[in-house]
Amino acid sequence: MSASKDITPPELIKERGSLHPINHMKDSIMNLLVSFGFEIVDGPEIETEEFNFDMLNIKKSHPARQMHDTFYVENKSNLLRTHTSPVQIRGMLERKPPLAFISGGKVYRKDDDATHLPMFHQVEGIFVDENVSFAQLKDLIYKILYSLFGRDVQLRFRPSYFPFTEPSAEVDILSREGKWLEILGCGLVNPVVLENCNIDSNKYSGLAFGLGIERIAMLKHGVTDIREFYKSNLDFLNQFK
Amino acid sequence: MKIAYTHLLSHIQEKPSIEMVSDNLFQLGHEHEVEGNVFNMEFTPNRGDCLSINGLLRDLAVFYTVNLDQKKYSENIDKLKIDFENLSQDICPQISFLKLEIDNIPDTYKGYLNDYFIDLNINKNNFFTDISNYISYETGQPTHCYDANKVNGKLIFQELNTNQEFETLLDKKINLTDKNSVFLLNNEVINLAGVVGGKRTSCSSETKTVLVECAFFKPEKIIGKSVKYDIQSEASHKFERSVDPACHETVMRRFINLVSEHSNIKKMSFVSYKFGDITAHKIPVNVSKINQIIGINISEDEYLSYLLKLGFTIDNALITVPSYRSDIETQNDLAEEVARAIGYNNILKKELTIPKGKISNNYDIENKLRYFLLDQGFYEVINSPFVNSSSDVSIKVDNPLDSNREYLRTNIISSLLDNLIFNERRQKDSIKLFEISDVYTSKDSQINRIRRLSIIASGRAGHNYEDFSKKINIKHLTKLFRKVLPGENFDFQILDRDSTKTKIKNEIIGCEVDISNFSTEVLNYKEISKSPDNFIQYCPISELPYSQRDLSFSIKDHTKCKPLEKFILEYDDELLKKVFLFDYFYNEKNAEIKIGFRFVFQSTDITITETQVNKIMSVIIDHAKKIDGISIPGLN
Repeated sequence: MSASKDITPPELIKERGSLHPINHMKDSIMNLLVSFGFEIVDGPEIETEEFNFDMLNIKKSHPARQMHDTFYVENKSNLLRTHTSPVQIRGMLERKPPLAFISGGKVYRKDDDATHLPMFHQVEGIFVDENVSFAQLKDLIYKILYSLFGRDVQLRFRPSYFPFTEPSAEVDILSREGKWLEILGCGLVNPVVLENCNIDSNKYSGLAFGLGIERIAMLKHGVTDIREFYKSNLDFLNQFK
Repeated sequence: MKIAYTHLLSHIQEKPSIEMVSDNLFQLGHEHEVEGNVFNMEFTPNRGDCLSINGLLRDLAVFYTVNLDQKKYSENIDKLKIDFENLSQDICPQISFLKLEIDNIPDTYKGYLNDYFIDLNINKNNFFTDISNYISYETGQPTHCYDANKVNGKLIFQELNTNQEFETLLDKKINLTDKNSVFLLNNEVINLAGVVGGKRTSCSSETKTVLVECAFFKPEKIIGKSVKYDIQSEASHKFERSVDPACHETVMRRFINLVSEHSNIKKMSFVSYKFGDITAHKIPVNVSKINQIIGINISEDEYLSYLLKLGFTIDNALITVPSYRSDIETQNDLAEEVARAIGYNNILKKELTIPKGKISNNYDIENKLRYFLLDQGFYEVINSPFVNSSSDVSIKVDNPLDSNREYLRTNIISSLLDNLIFNERRQKDSIKLFEISDVYTSKDSQINRIRRLSIIASGRAGHNYEDFSKKINIKHLTKLFRKVLPGENFDFQILDRDSTKTKIKNEIIGCEVDISNFSTEVLNYKEISKSPDNFIQYCPISELPYSQRDLSFSIKDHTKCKPLEKFILEYDDELLKKVFLFDYFYNEKNAEIKIGFRFVFQSTDITITETQVNKIMSVIIDHAKKIDGISIPGLN
């Protein structure tokens, strides 16, 4: 037998790492929203009660402000933000309408089980201009969810309650199994919140929305236990390349 | 809260099906599960007014003809003389008392009262408490029943700093601390206002004379008490969400009626206290504002017709909000009422265009760093900031989930070290991780926020045949990083392995750098890795141990090298988790190629056995042996 002279070495496969699936999902959503025209705004995770609650029309009596729901730090002088909404307040105070920006990041609540963690991620957006309506909010939500879940997805808008929006809505999508799954919260910015940010609510109105990243990532990737995202197990992370 | 469909239906003229009512409730924003003939309702916290049969019917009136026609006692009632003092009138601006004495205690119930216990499968307590519970279900107003013969002294309502034991009517002893709104009898707490009554004055199955208390408490003074004292009461659930301050006489007259349907009333007297005026809220009629908010175009007549059905009254271009709707204050609130009546899903969307915004540079630097690290084989992780160790700049959580998580981390690398050990314990021999996160510290009451990148690596440099035998060390990483980002300083350090309690001796290399330290040169990096286009379906992870096999081949006919490689790397078996080519060598002297593969086996349900592994390996070996010009040293 005569040996071949082809001694080209095998392909040198360089192993690539992966983005964390939560950050990948957050990036995907934020990139989508940037493509719609939203600017990215950042804010701190340690907040004051003023920005996290008061300015957002969350009254002193609201259950979310209790010690069993919110992490307070440094002798209650500050807290870990319970949502990314304080960034909306900071953004509105720094800008003049028309304005459109999003913020994404970690938020904290006193929960710890298979579907809730004390730390999770949100992306929120706000748009303030003259004559912004609920019908326009619907258009935006359809665009977001069609992009995320495809144009065949069925949506359902339900009235809900958030102190910082009025009217408020929760939006469900119909799963393959025929179950409605809550996917985001949204609404028209409560005029009280606009006024708190020195925006004339007689002239301007706004829409706002917020998505829980873990919930969408669990749905999109088929992860059933939220805790899997934060074990830093390479067998888990390696799947999201 | 559970509400029976039949209890609603008896007040709705059109007699809709349970499916229709369910759809209507969803349209109105009232989430629920249908359990047989019962709606298990979950109301939003602003709709305390819906926590009753009448409350839901008032909302359903937007779709149907609803009759809130329950019978009420309509005759004059004597004025009750009661020794009562309200020392916290701001917390309880309205309170009423009804005293009733009956002839006999009924053995059975009839009408609505009977249906309530049967249809909702509720246990009975005693006659007056049962009536009170039903009244709360029907009207939404909690009432409290004292055995009148046990209330012998001055009754005081007061918010005060207490530190005393209180035994509830549920036989639970609680220690009242700090400020509580309470009812006192001879300086002893007999009722934790808005939450639960006390055992000392509670009604029993023998009670024939009752003192019924019907009050409005400021929700902010009730909130948190049921959680603090671990008492789940329907009353606190309702008071926390606000009740109707103007319903007392109606509720008491309905109470009397229900009692009279079951027993002869010997005596009755009633008194109502109002501490200040409760004025109705009025909002101007402005249909164009409503149309602008929702993005529709309805007439004023249509607009007002929705509000009239929902119990609002209109006079002189002013809309008067019903006393039970404490959630309605603005035009936006009214717009939501109209939108609910129309149905959110029936509102047509309107094109929204947003002008293009600015894009932040920081995110680009961060993203470039992330993709650079991905290209070097690093995996991104996210860790919780809660840790158990502290430094002099640590921020302490006032109310941690547990004592092991009472500080915020002051660095990321410690979290990454935990992640690395976690993966080493799962037989990972090449670990490369990074995390980008804010880190918070505190000094002189000033909170400092720094955005940081932290990197950790240990074990083999990689799994390909060039990297497999190389170990990660400072020199290796520095060279790798400088080659691509020469201007950036990562300052890699060897991390102490002593605290990890593992037998593995590989060096652990790490660094932590402020993102602000990176220059804009990072932006010039051309990444190779791409973000996945699709969202990959996750396969559950096995926590069972791996089994590994290495197989080396000698190849004289070099044309057989590629087919062998293809066969092995593409070999598919559910137990074969991973296979890679870890060794390649061309021996010029005898013109022979040596090539080595590592096979990693793992099962998802049982610990994999030698027999299972050998079986798969035999198939691979048998196939390879059939290829001319290939031999397996030690086997041929």
